Amino acid sequence: MLTQQIINGLMLGAIYMLVAVAFTLAIGVLNFLNFSIPGLFMLGGVATFGFLKMGWPFLLAAAGALFIAALVSLLVERLAYRRMKEGDADVPLVSSLGFLVLLENLVLIRYGSDQQAFPALFPDMNLRVGGLVIGIVQLVSMAISLGLVAWLSWFLRTTNAGRRIRTVAENRETAMLMGINIERLVPQLFVCSALLAALAGLLFAINYQQVTPFMGEGIGFKAVAAMIIGGMGSIWGAVIGGLLIGLAEVLSVSFIGADVVNITVYGLLLVILILRPQGLLGRPPAREKL
Amino acid sequence: MALLEVSAIEVNYGRVTALSGVDLTVNEGEIVTVLGANGAGKSTLLRAILGAVPLKAGGIRFSGADITRAPTHSRIASGLVLVPEGRRILISLSVEENLQLGAHMRTDTTRVKAEIDAIYQRFPNLAERRHMLASCLSGGEQQMLAIGRAMLAKPRLMMLDEPSLGLSPLFVSKLFDLIKELNRDGLSILLVEQNTGKALGVAHQATVLELGRVVMAGDPKALAADPRLQQAYLGEGTPSH
Ligand SMILES: Nc1ncnc2c1ncn2[C@@H]1O[C@H](COP(=O)(O)OP(=O)(O)O)[C@@H](O)[C@H]1O
Ligand SMILES: [Mg+2]
Repeated sequence: MLTQQIINGLMLGAIYMLVAVAFTLAIGVLNFLNFSIPGLFMLGGVATFGFLKMGWPFLLAAAGALFIAALVSLLVERLAYRRMKEGDADVPLVSSLGFLVLLENLVLIRYGSDQQAFPALFPDMNLRVGGLVIGIVQLVSMAISLGLVAWLSWFLRTTNAGRRIRTVAENRETAMLMGINIERLVPQLFVCSALLAALAGLLFAINYQQVTPFMGEGIGFKAVAAMIIGGMGSIWGAVIGGLLIGLAEVLSVSFIGADVVNITVYGLLLVILILRPQGLLGRPPAREKL
Repeated sequence: MALLEVSAIEVNYGRVTALSGVDLTVNEGEIVTVLGANGAGKSTLLRAILGAVPLKAGGIRFSGADITRAPTHSRIASGLVLVPEGRRILISLSVEENLQLGAHMRTDTTRVKAEIDAIYQRFPNLAERRHMLASCLSGGEQQMLAIGRAMLAKPRLMMLDEPSLGLSPLFVSKLFDLIKELNRDGLSILLVEQNTGKALGVAHQATVLELGRVVMAGDPKALAADPRLQQAYLGEGTPSH
């Protein structure tokens, strides 16, 4: 029972983790708390749902949803982020929140506010190990999430493009003097972050077989909490934070009750921040980033 | 043959005129030094050449091409590089990653590896700390790292902005030896310095800026003997040492 819940917790955690990494890229490199990310998460699920309803095959529907999320993210970059450069740093935060509300309402108009049943795409295959039941879909989703984040971390650490991103994260002016084309890099980062969020939304829809216009909100807040728990700006911090919150949530639902979920999750956040203000893997400023 | 030709450039920061009517030529294989008091516009000149500040007027040619409107990254790709004032080492990257960053536009990875090894041979202190964060280096070592990073961009013209600032006398003479050596190997150099004596000692040509204008230019030996050089500094109340 406990092991089963741990597996379920890690599955949910893997989704928080992807969204937390999307937030981490935005805040760590662009210094931008991008609140359109929960909207892109929702789009990943809802657009796939819409395309499936139109009769598209799954892979095409998923690719279409990721594509749309990337496009919307480029719009956020153009309309919200690019304008802040000289201005107040709070303005893009608020306008990205505007994008979230806009996306939610567009979906609401199209599909209504009710929860929609996302079709079961894959036959219900399970691995049975001892008394444990592990869904294959669940397992594959977790492998994809962890594999992607591990790849991203490797990419940032060892490639020229990764070093460019980390240079921009540390100091934009220096990055410019080193000949880094920031104008091109920033939109690329917005696309990356959007793909992570939308993939998370897609995996959520597949695993929990439901989509709603507002599915991004709760997840978004918990992903931000995960990022803070792990240490802002650290990818592995976002991984640990995401998995911890997923575990805390599932375990408290099954052992204490559904009403206390938010108390445990945000209580965990509070406790960790009191014990370690910079987060679990967070380092004092002016040290290694990402 | 002229490698870099700056003609009559003007740069403003808002209403402040930082450069006006500045001309400068660096010929292939030369060391050219730009001197002047604090605030004279030396850093602005280098930034303008790199394309990091916009020109109000004038033009820049580099190795035969008009780069007046080219973005910074394409100027660097064409062989210009800056070792910036204050070095601007990336402290969240390791020593080796700082070097690799210098080569971030290059695709000839095996050559880059060999060049990084050559830099380690030249600066054993960097080799020892290659996997440590660059923040652990001393000021002198950071300057060597900044120059190594610039070398990895495969430049034809290296611009250095006050590289001797804050270094111990030992490192200052090491630095000037290195500059001469790089130049002997064929690299053209544009050197901004407060250390006028040392700079005039290595340069083939010198230019003195005062309040954004060229007030003297020519042979470094003649300049060194010219009393107006001291005035250019005293004019701003910041004599050099
Ligand atoms: N970013 C900036 N904004 C406004 N004024 C600047 C800026 N940078 C330099 N200046 C001004 O331009 C002039 C030239 O500065 P600078 O090129 O840094 O001189 P130097 O390198 O010779 O000390 C100075 O008056 C300086 O105050
Ligand atoms: Mg200066």
